Formats: sequence, C-alpha cells, structure tokens
Amino acid sequence: MPYHLFKCSQCIPEREKHAVIKGPGEDLSMALPLGYLNTIPGSISERGCAYCGAKHVIGTPMKDVIHLSHGPVGCTYDTWQTKRYISDNDNFQLKYTFASDMKEKHIVFGAERLLKDNIKEAFKAFPGIKRMTIYQTCASALIGDDINAIAAEIMEDMPEVDIFVCNSPGFGGPSQSGGHHKINIAWINQKVGTVEPEITSDYVINYVGEYNIQGDQEVMQDYFKRMGIQVLSTFTGNGSYDDLRAMHRAHLNVLECARSAEYICNELRVRYGIPRLDIDGFGFEPLSSSLRKIGLFFGIEDRAQAIIDEETAKWKPELDWYKERLKGKKVCLWPGGSKLWHWAHAIHAEMGVDVVSVYTKFGHQGDMEKGISRCEEGALAIDDPNELEGLEAMETLKPDCIFTGKRPGEVAKKIRVPYLNAHAYHNGPWKGFEGWVRFARDIYNAIYSPVHQLSLVDIRTDEAIGDAGFATRKSFSDANLPEEVKNSETLREYTGKYSIIPDLQAKTHPEFARREPEPAAV
Amino acid sequence: MEDSKERVSQIVDHIMKNCLWQFHSRAWDRLRQNENILGMTAKILLDEKVEIKTPDDKCYWVDAVCLADACRKKFSWISSSSREELADVMASLKERMDFLTVTGSLNEELTDKHY
Repeated sequence: MPYHLFKCSQCIPEREKHAVIKGPGEDLSMALPLGYLNTIPGSISERGCAYCGAKHVIGTPMKDVIHLSHGPVGCTYDTWQTKRYISDNDNFQLKYTFASDMKEKHIVFGAERLLKDNIKEAFKAFPGIKRMTIYQTCASALIGDDINAIAAEIMEDMPEVDIFVCNSPGFGGPSQSGGHHKINIAWINQKVGTVEPEITSDYVINYVGEYNIQGDQEVMQDYFKRMGIQVLSTFTGNGSYDDLRAMHRAHLNVLECARSAEYICNELRVRYGIPRLDIDGFGFEPLSSSLRKIGLFFGIEDRAQAIIDEETAKWKPELDWYKERLKGKKVCLWPGGSKLWHWAHAIHAEMGVDVVSVYTKFGHQGDMEKGISRCEEGALAIDDPNELEGLEAMETLKPDCIFTGKRPGEVAKKIRVPYLNAHAYHNGPWKGFEGWVRFARDIYNAIYSPVHQLSLVDIRTDEAIGDAGFATRKSFSDANLPEEVKNSETLREYTGKYSIIPDLQAKTHPEFARREPEPAAV
Repeated sequence: MEDSKERVSQIVDHIMKNCLWQFHSRAWDRLRQNENILGMTAKILLDEKVEIKTPDDKCYWVDAVCLADACRKKFSWISSSSREELADVMASLKERMDFLTVTGSLNEELTDKHY
C-alpha cells in the first residue's frame, strides 16, 4: 500500500504518511497512515478540541444533567443547532446549555467564586434536576481554578445534588479523541460504583459508545428489551447520570463506538470483571450477527433470532429497492472516527455502493486498521485531512456522494458533490434494520435529487436554456433499470413514518419470567 | 500447500471484513483475543469440547461460534477437509492473524502500557 502525497500538500511533505491507497493483494503490514498525532502546522485540520470531545461528544448526551462549561460562553456553541443526540425527557440536555461566562477579569483575578455562584444559580433555575457535570476549558485550566474543590463544597452544602468534574481542557490532546479518553477515565474513577441499581432481569448489559443520534439508542434498546435484556446504562446517549454510576453491576458491556468508549469498557473489565463484546448496529448482516452474539452470551439466541427474522422480512425488500438503484455509485466515507469501519463493508455489501475513500478526522491507527480492512481495493484512506486535500480527493475520485460533517459537507456542495451528515444524520435514526433503510433512502435522495441535477448544469451555456421538462428522483434512478427490477412486486420504497421514535417510546415490551435463584449452599 | 494458503486467506478476509474482536487496543489484548477466539473456533470446527469458565471465556466463545458458523456457511471445503487439514489451516490462520494484527502491525499504539 503506497503512501499518497496530495499535490496540494507538497509544501507539507510530512502529510505523506497520513494517506495510503489500498492496492491489490496488499495488507496492513505494508502501510498504515499515521494517526492520533498533533496536526502538522500549516495543515488546516477539521478536528475538534479535547474539551469538545469530552463534553460535546460524550458528556452532554447524558439526559438528566445540567452540563456546565467553566469557561467563556463561546465554548458552549455546540448545542441544539449542531447536535442531534436526542433524549426521551424532552431533550433537556440539548435545550439548555450552561457556561460560567468567564471574562478577562476572571482570568486575572480567578473564577472559582464565579463558578460557585453559577452552579447554585443553575440548580435554582432547574429545581427538578439534581445532577451536574462541569467541564474545564482552556481558560479555566490555564488559570488553575480548582473545580473539584468547588464541586465538593457545593455537594457538602447541597447534599441532594451530585456533581461530576471533567478536567479535559481544549489543549488536552491532539484532537477530540484526547477528550474521549479523559472523560472515560474520569467517569469510572469518580462515579462508577457509587449507586447500587435495581436489577430486573437475568440478563443485564451496559450499552457503551452509543450516543442516541436521532434516536439510535432507542432503536437498539427496543431490540434489547424485546430480548428481555435490562439495559442498565447507556454510555451515554439518552443515558441517565445515576444509571451510569451503577455500570459496575452489568453482566456484559456491549460496545458500539470503540473509538470513543473502549477505555471505560477495558477498565470495567479490569476492575469489575465485566467482559467486552464489540458490536455493529449498522447494516442487516452486522446487526443480525451482533444480536445473535448477545443472545448467545446469555443463552437466549432464540429471542435474538426471532427479532432478526421479523425485521429482515419486513425491511429487506425496501433495502433492496434502494440497492438496485445505488449499485456502483461511488461514495466517500469521511466521518469522525468509528463510522468509517462501521459502514465501510456493510454499505458496499448491502447497498451496492463503492467506497472509494475513507478518512477519519480524529481516529487512531486502530480505526484505520479496521477501516482499510473493510473497504475494497483502490480506496484512498486519509488521516486528519485538510480542506484542500478533501477538495483534491473529490476532484480526483469524482464521488456521487460523501458522508461527512457539516463543515466539509458544505465545501463539497460548493463543487456540486452531495453530502450526507455522517455525524448527526439527515433523516435518522440510521441504526437498526429500519434505520439502515432510512440511510439508504437518504443516500438515494441525495444522489438523485432533481435539485442536485440542476446544480450540475452550467447556466452560462446556451444548452442550459430550454425546457428540460418535469423530473423526479425516480426518473433519473430508473432510467436504465431492467424492466423486471423497475416493476418488481417484491421490492418497494421505504414505507416507514417520518419519525419512528415516538412509537418506540410509547411501546410496551414483553415481560420474561426470571430464573429461580439457586438454593444457598448448606 | 497452495490450497492451505488460499483457505487461510479466505478466512482472514472474512474476519477482516466482518469481525471487530481482532482489533483490540493493545498488543497483549490482541494476542489474547486471537489465542482464545481462534483456539475455540478450531475446537468448534473439529467438534471438540470448549471449556467456558469465566465471563471472558463466554465472550470469546460467542465470537468463536459466529466465526465457525460463517466458515461452515461460506467455505464448502470446511466440510470436506480432514481433521488434520482443518487443524493445519486453523494453526496457520492464528499465525497469520498474529502477524497482521500484532507482530507485523504498523500501529504504534499497540505497545502503550496503559489503556
């Protein structure tokens, strides 16, 4: 696998070892992009900071908590307008965002008093919320405010509240990944083991590395409940603060995003002996295999199989409708960390698209190992790309669609490449069987949108003038399809609702009898 | 010989595209995963008894069952191979996976002492 130096990065030759092309017959021992290193000066990275990785990715999806940043108000920028980790308590954690609003004078004279007043004010404003997380920022870290001491004082004065402190300033790592690590370790050190939960099932899991993007967690939780499994906690999407304090009582850690949350799983394994099972919630085959594995672990594989059979029968004809129309389309998987490997193979095998490039903004070399292994030959793999490299890759590879964040996504639009939001989704959830069909529908809509087709017309030319007639997505997608596919009676477009989460939240799940406790030894 | 190499390569391709257990964070982690999961897979394919003593064993076993099922489903040569041939393939597979994920890996984080 040769390294690849972009033309636009020839003035930054260190970038060469951050990209490789997967050649025929080549394997991971031949080349692997460097990863999780400080961004090279001169390269305009798309990364976030370590504070962002701790708070905005992992901390804030916790739903019943006041999330307070001890720093300038700008540090709280990411909330309901950029993030889509919803919750079943009316999205409290998205609707309200808190900052101590540090100013220059606080940098000079200290901001501990300011923080203490802010904490009291926030609890007073929301008397129903008794849990808080406080995030250090660059500003409060540099002046050395002792946030832990302030939190301890408050908890002494207000015994009904509990506060978690995360010391992960923006400069605390090369990217947001540094913050993922810090908050994982801080949570297990400070909070795990401080609450004893009620166990209601013989099968108890922590669902880890799942952030409930547009309802992903609720989709997966539905499957687990249908299997009679108690989801003791979710780390952290739609997760409850006190449930997460009780993680030590689970029988199994089911790990989804290993990039952001393997640390806490590994520590739970070392400290409490809870094993870690990595799963994939995206794609029919990977998800089926994941449910089967969890079922096997608990000896309830028949329950898993019943769900797999029912969901596959219901949704596969719809997935295949899109597959027929997406076959051979070229896509770039350019997410943040884990989705490059969650999606790389499943999207090719089950939707028929060709993944021509994978990149990761903040992933480690381990993520690239997984991603490169799962994509086909010829794919270009890039670590920590800059905007010009992204543009050059799109001009060279000519993808039909890219899956990335909204900043590089808007850049793609400017050169008329449609994009889907890989972090927050377009019309999610994308997890689960139905979710995977919704993802396929979003890709189809992006690629065949008549508006996108119009954007490709150069209106400066005479040919652009005239009556092209009325066009629909289907008139583009079905133009060259065989008649038997076009008129198939088994394949069909997505039939689900606009939003599938309210029904899941209102659903009643079956109750399974628990095993009789074994008699105590005499 | 060629057959055996090709067979190993087929299983490696399946593991790399469909499994995640081979890419734990550290070298010692990966060696432990490969040893246990591939060891149990070999036993399942050879109809030998697998001992499950701890929750960790159960996790290895779960991945091993899924791998063994996939191998039986995808590779017709599994059912027509002799026990010796199958044992050889599985031993070579373990060697190849150790190389790709640990000894030949270019991942610089594998030797980090901490998680």
